[in-house]
This record gives sequence, structure tokens and C-alpha cells, in this order.
Amino acid sequence: MTMTSLDLLFVSVLLYVGGAFLSLLFARREELAIASAGVLGALGGVAGLAAVLPVLLSGHGVSFAMASVFSFANFSVRVDLLAAFMVLVISLLVVATSIYSLAYVREYAGRGAWAMGFFMNLFIASMVALVVVDNAFWFLVFFEMMSLASYFLVIFDQDEEAVSAGFLYFLIAHAGSVLILIAFFILYGQSGSLEFASFRKLQLSMPMASVVFLLAFFGFGAKAGMIPLHGWLPRAHPAAPSHGSALMSGVMVKIGVFGIIKVGVDLLGAHTAWWGIVVLAFGAVSAVLGVLYAIAEKDIKRLLAYSSVENVGIILMGVGVGMIGIATGRPLLAGLGLLAGLYHLLNHAVFKGLLFLGAGSILFRTHTKNMEKLGGLARKMPYTAAAFLVGAMAISALPPLNGFVSEWFTYQSLFTMSREGELLIRLVGPAAIVMLAITGALAAMCFIKVYGMSFSGLPRSEHADKAKEAPAAMVLAMLFLAVVAILLGLGASVVAPVIAGVASSLAGGAHLDVAQGTLLFPGSLVQATLSTPLIAILLMATPLLAVLIVMLVKGVRMARRHSGDAWACGYMQEGHMVVSADGFAKPISSMFGAMFNLRRTMDPGPLLQSSMQRLIAAATRAEPFWDDKLVAPVLRFVPWLGRQVQWLQHGDFRVYCLYVVAALVVLLVFTV
Amino acid sequence: MLNLNFQPILLALLQALILLALAPLMTGISRQMRARMHSRRGPGVWQDYRDIFKLLKRQDVAPAASGFVFQAMPFVMFGVMLLVAMALPVFTHHSPLGVIADIITVAYLFALARFFFSLAGIDSGSLYAGLGATREATLGVLVEPIMILSLLVVALIEGSTNIGSISDSIANGYGQSPTAIVLAMLAFGFAVFIEMGKLPFDMAEAEQELQEGPLTEYSGSSLAILKLGLGLKKVVMAQFFIGVFLPFGIATDLNAGGLAMAIAVVAIPVRLAVIFFLAALVENSMARGRFMLTSRVTWVGFGVAALSFVFYLAGL
Repeated sequence: MTMTSLDLLFVSVLLYVGGAFLSLLFARREELAIASAGVLGALGGVAGLAAVLPVLLSGHGVSFAMASVFSFANFSVRVDLLAAFMVLVISLLVVATSIYSLAYVREYAGRGAWAMGFFMNLFIASMVALVVVDNAFWFLVFFEMMSLASYFLVIFDQDEEAVSAGFLYFLIAHAGSVLILIAFFILYGQSGSLEFASFRKLQLSMPMASVVFLLAFFGFGAKAGMIPLHGWLPRAHPAAPSHGSALMSGVMVKIGVFGIIKVGVDLLGAHTAWWGIVVLAFGAVSAVLGVLYAIAEKDIKRLLAYSSVENVGIILMGVGVGMIGIATGRPLLAGLGLLAGLYHLLNHAVFKGLLFLGAGSILFRTHTKNMEKLGGLARKMPYTAAAFLVGAMAISALPPLNGFVSEWFTYQSLFTMSREGELLIRLVGPAAIVMLAITGALAAMCFIKVYGMSFSGLPRSEHADKAKEAPAAMVLAMLFLAVVAILLGLGASVVAPVIAGVASSLAGGAHLDVAQGTLLFPGSLVQATLSTPLIAILLMATPLLAVLIVMLVKGVRMARRHSGDAWACGYMQEGHMVVSADGFAKPISSMFGAMFNLRRTMDPGPLLQSSMQRLIAAATRAEPFWDDKLVAPVLRFVPWLGRQVQWLQHGDFRVYCLYVVAALVVLLVFTV
Repeated sequence: MLNLNFQPILLALLQALILLALAPLMTGISRQMRARMHSRRGPGVWQDYRDIFKLLKRQDVAPAASGFVFQAMPFVMFGVMLLVAMALPVFTHHSPLGVIADIITVAYLFALARFFFSLAGIDSGSLYAGLGATREATLGVLVEPIMILSLLVVALIEGSTNIGSISDSIANGYGQSPTAIVLAMLAFGFAVFIEMGKLPFDMAEAEQELQEGPLTEYSGSSLAILKLGLGLKKVVMAQFFIGVFLPFGIATDLNAGGLAMAIAVVAIPVRLAVIFFLAALVENSMARGRFMLTSRVTWVGFGVAALSFVFYLAGL
């Protein structure tokens, strides 16, 4: 019997849930709990990959429906190309984080490692279920499950920062959920069914559709960490355990992007051009500001979290271009934009996952996230350093790695958009290109800082000095992701057509040509070409000429010496003399000072928190109101009544006789 | 498999080697010019060849704190610049490696070199190199938008981001949107000027304080390769400028005939020398500026690029 994609997907979810409950079951024997959560999680990931790869390669989605316990909501599953793609992204990263967790979670032994396995696997299962369900009710149920499970991961450390970050996360996640709920309810009111299939058939009026779109955009945007709804992200992601941060930054924020595509393109058909412009504009602003804030951080995990804001911005830029393309009837543009966005979505999951795992390994060995206290780790943790360097180069969009390929497609889609169309669109395109260029340069600077401060130079603390290589499982997980990042770059001519298939299924089905042999091109060979394998080969070959020169022109050169201090103008060198994490970012933070002020004024987090506090205060005030006006009078009335009745019970036996006689008389009178 | 035709690869290699061979001469001309403008005699235009040759025979010394990135950087810088030199249009309007001669690819190849250059500064563990690293990365942030926007304007006019196509269309006249092209050329020239490491943004001799700070800890053969790489970067930048905005006097394609090819070959060093001469002229008439105020100067370049885009939209 061969298993169909749906069977495998079911097995995958079952493995995650099984891992979760086994972890719970082995609460007393934590090493078993860690092993079962990790191994079943990794197997679930493999099953998920096996389930969706045939769907993606064949280009045919599958669906399935059954009645559920609720009469109003069928349990319908639809693995279309977009859902299959999302499952691929989730599963790929889960394989790495699950392997990683086998060693990493030991750090939490005795502190509820079993609970971590439980919440982690449940979190993964709910994400997979969420992307494949085709019913608004179940969608919201799984969305909520995902938010709650990740909330417990955020507050896992139980310290003040984690609890406060968790609270903020809880608030913003639910503010988002409410918006999404309203959007779905409007659609439900129109179609009379909670099935997404019925939503797709709706012909909404323009204003109504726009309201639904904006509600969903901001609702899912909060989940995606788009600016200005990003406030929770740089606090919540770092607080979670590192493999949890990897999944939250690598995958969960993408659920937000997925939701925007689902509602905007899949359900509503993206028929209005300004929706796309809104998505593009929010994306571009998120990209620039996200990376700008990232540069100023010295906590490595917070920096990575801010960089996720940036990358979500880049993904949204692609999605926005795609939506503009659909609305203006340019299928090539639509396909290119969505291809760029989805490709970057996959790439970011891989390299951000890798970087968070790397940060986790650093934390595991040095017990600090503060880059000012690191340094010199490349010698102590060579494999971690190598994998981290690949991740840093990929996220800085350096050719020929994967980040470059997706950003190249983003540039090309923006360029295609700028070439024709209305004046506004021809103006927006180049503006976005410039913002992407600034983002690229800032991202490179940001990751020079991360790698440089953590892995280069002299160790700046005792912990950093005594660090050693991370355990094998963790190194394996990181190397796996590093290899995937390289393959997604060098093998772009194989990967891009598959993602182009997903993109064109969303953009109306027109075939999109993006690769020929090892060559990539944005729909037209005249506009541009790219060959990452050729770049890679030449980049390996050209330095050989320099090696040759060094070997040939030798003279009486002595062997290389690798010792002694760096030159310090004649003074003795000390560790704290070198440029610090803050110092490195100083020119940028002073040149772009205004942008940093913007963060304080734009962040709704404090506003939400203060309004929550006001709500609590109001509730505190409102509570005595009922006490005073209703409960207290009742409370006063009862003893009073008691006192009034008290004299009846005088205690004298003759009086009671009198009562009996009186009662008899009364009864007699009534009966007669 | 890679479907490569070897003739273009050979041509690419040939032009890259020519640019590499010219690099010390061009930096030598710059040095000599500065000396003359300072009323010094100067070491002569061949001095940089002698320097590099001498350094190659010296011992390579690296601080104990330095790591893999520090050691690899000179070779990465050299390799990336050689790759860009292979991709630019030099003999003809068309790049011999057309498939990678894309403005975005080339801009990000420069970013790759900068990434390692700056990272090597931190990796050396030296305080001066670390400061140089910050400055190098910051300049990248300030320059890249100018470069991309000015190239974008000419790319939009041509409808292609391929450097060869742009070069070809510009060589056939500034017909469409001439004002926009001239303004884009000015803005791109500004960016190239900064990338060539010139005052007020940089001073190549003041290695411990400014942009070339990451060089502080290099010595011997590593320094020689790095000097070659940085010289090549300057030549490549100038050639990039020439190839895109001033593609005159070079052959339209390889079948243009012997005379046209001969002119094209002779034209390479001549035009490069003119660009270096102009750059040196501007540089030596400038004072040094405070680094933290650099962004105010680069706004000018960005403004010109933005203006060029506006002219393009207006069709002028």
C-alpha cells in the first residue's frame, strides 16, 4: 500500500502530537521526555517533507473533508500548493530544531524539560494543521493553539523579563486574533458558511472587501511582526528557548505572511491595486527600520529578532508586488513578486533558524547573550562559527547564497513593476528598490557586527574564554541548515521553478518561466540573468590566481607567523580596547538618530500595556460599584430583616403556644 | 550541467588580467599626482609595482587573536574584484560573461568584498582595524543606495539590468532622457569616487584612522595581495563607470575588425588614466571631513540620483 500525501501529512501531525504527549508522560524521566519529543518531532518533519514534496513537484493540490464534532464547521483539509509550500518550510526547520533539541534541552533538565517538549511539539502540530485547514473555525482554533503553545515557550524561564514579554506577546497576539475573527465573521455573514471554499466564491463590494482585507492585514501583520505592530517580537522571541526562537522567527512569523496571502490573494482575489501598495509600503518600512534597530542591539537574540522584522518586510515587499500585479492584470509581475516573497520566506526560515540555533549554542556554552561579553569563539567553536558565518552571509544577501537569490528576484520584480503602469506605481517601485538597497547594506553591517563581536578577536569574558564546541546534535542541526542554505543558493535553478509554480497558482495560473539550465531570469532573458553556480565556481577559481602569485614570487620569505598582540600604538593591548558592539553601531545610530526616536513614538506596545492597565484600574473601580449598589444593600437588608424577625423568637414557651393557637384559628378561618 | 562556451571565459580572463596588471600603475599615477600637487617629487608611477613585489617576499605576520576570516580576506577581496573585472564590458559593449553582468549582482559582489574586508578588521583583534571596519561598513550603507538608484535610472531607460545591454544602448547615444542620464552619471561618479577611497571620505595613507583601517595588521605577502586587490577595486570601479556611462571608442562586438579592436585595447589604459587623473584632481582639492558628518555629504549624491530619476519620469 502506498501512502498518499494526506496520509503522510496525518502521520506527520500524529507524530508531533505523539511526541508532545510522550514527553508529558515521561515527566518523571526527563531524558526519555527529551528524546521522545526530539526524535518524534524530527520524524514528523521528515514525514511532512515526504507528504508535500510530491504535491509541490506535481503541481496538483489534494483536499479532503469530513464532518467534525461541530455541526457548523466541517473538518476540511486542502493541501493546495501554497499550503504544501508552507508545510515544507515548517517541516524543514522542524527537522533541524528537533535534532538540536536532543542536546540543547538538557540545559533545562530539572526545570520542566518535559513541558518544553510538550508545548514545542504542540506548537509545531498546530502550525502544520493551521496551514492546511480550509475552514475559518478550525483555522482560528489552530491559530489560537499556536499562540498559546508559543506563549508558554516564551514564559518558560519564568523570570520577570520573560513573564512581562509573554504578557505583551499574549496581548498583541490576541488583539490580532480579534481582528482576524472580525474579518472572518464579515465573510461568514456574507456567505453563510465557515468554509473557505464559500469565501472564495463571494463577490464582495469594494468597500466591504477592503475592510475585510485591512482587518486581516493588520491582524496577521501583528503575528508577522510587521512595523508598527512589531513591539512584542524583539522581546518575546529572545525569551523563548533558542530552538523555540528559531521556530518562532523562522516559521511562526511566516504564518502571519501566509495569512495575508491567504486572505488577500486566495480568498479575496487581490483585485484592488492599493492593497498591494499598502503591503509593499509596510514591507519596505519594516525592512529598513527592522534592520536599523537590529544594528543597535547588543543582545544577540534580540538582534536576530529585529532582523526577523526586517526580513518579514522584504517578504512583504515581494507579496505586495505580486498583489499589484494581480490587480493590474499583469500575470508575469504577479508571479514574479509572489515568487520573490515566497522564496525569501523559505530562505529566511533556513538562515534565521540557523542563526538562532547558533545563538543558542553560544548561550549554551557561555551563558550570555550579550555580545560585549563574547569574542574569540571561532577558535573554541569552529563548526558553530563556520555554520554561523554561512548564515550571516546568506542573510546579508551575499552571492551566491540563497538570500541573494531571493533578494535578486525581489529587485527584479520591483524593476519589472517600475517599467510600466501608472505614475504612482512607477514611483513606488524605485522607492522600494532604494529602500531594499539600504536594507541590504545595513544587514551586511549588522551581521559583520554579530559575527565579529561573537566569534572574532579576543574573548571578553571568562565564559567566552572557557567555551568549547557545542554537542554533536546541535552542530549537526546547524550544519544541516548551512548546507540547505548553500543548496538553495546554488540550486536556485531547480528550486525557483517549483516556487514559481506555487506563485503562478496564486496569480491566476499563467505559466512563469524563471530558469533554463543553470540560468535564472525574471520571466525574460533580456531583462536580466543570474547564474549562481557560475558565480560560485569563479569565486573559488579567482583567488587561486592570488595563491599562485604568492607561491611563485617567494624570494627568501619566511613562514607565516601567527602570534603576538595586535599593534596598539606602542601601548600594551588589552581586551577592552577593541571596538565594542555599541561602538560598532555608533556611526549608524547617530546618523539615523531620527529613525530611532520613531521607534518610541510608533510602538503600540506601551499604549496597549497602559490601556490594559487603565482597563484593570477601571475594572477595579467598577467592581465596588456593584458591591456598593447591589451586594452591600442586600447584605445590610438580610441582617436587618433577621433582627426584625428576631423578636418573634422570644424564647418564652407560652408565646409559642399562642402562635400555635393563632395559626390554628387562621387555618380554621380559611377552611371554613 | 553548466553550458559554457570557453571563448568568452578566455576573453573575460584576458580583460581581468589586463585590468589587474594596470591596477598598480593607476594607483601609482594617483600617488604621483598627489605628490606633485603637494609640491613633492613623488616616488614615480611605478612605485606600487615595486612595493607589491617587495612585500611578496616578506614574512606574513598575523596577531594571535586573528582567525580564519583575517587570513582569507586578501584572497576573497582579490578574487571578487577579479570576478567583477571579468564581468564588465571592457573591449566591447557586451560583457564577456553576460549571464552574471547584472547591476544588482555586481553591487552585491562589492558587498561581499566589503563584508569580508570589514569583518577582517574586527577579526584581527586590533583596535584601529575595528574602527576602520565600522567606517567601511558605514560607508557601504551610505554609498549603496546612490549606486543602485543611479544605475536603476539607466537600467529603466534600457529596460534591462544587464550591464552590457545598458552600455550598448548608451553608446548609441543619450537620445532618450539625456538629462536623466547625465545626472545619473554624476551621481554614480560620486559613488565611484567614494568607493575609490578618496578624500574627504578616506585617505589611503592614513591607515590607522580611516577607511583602510582594516589593513593595519596585514603584512608581507598578505598585504601584497590585499594591495593588489584594493588597487584592482579602484580600477574596476573606474571601469564600471566607463563601461556604463562612457562606452565610447570601444568595439561594438568582437567581429569589429582589427583596427577597432586595437583602438579598444589602447583605449583601456588611456580612459582609466583620465578617470584617475580627474579623481586625483578632485581629491587633492578637498579638505578632510569629520567622519560622523559624512552622511550630510552623501545626501548630495543621493539627491542628484533622485533628481535624475525625476527627470527620467518626466522623460527629459
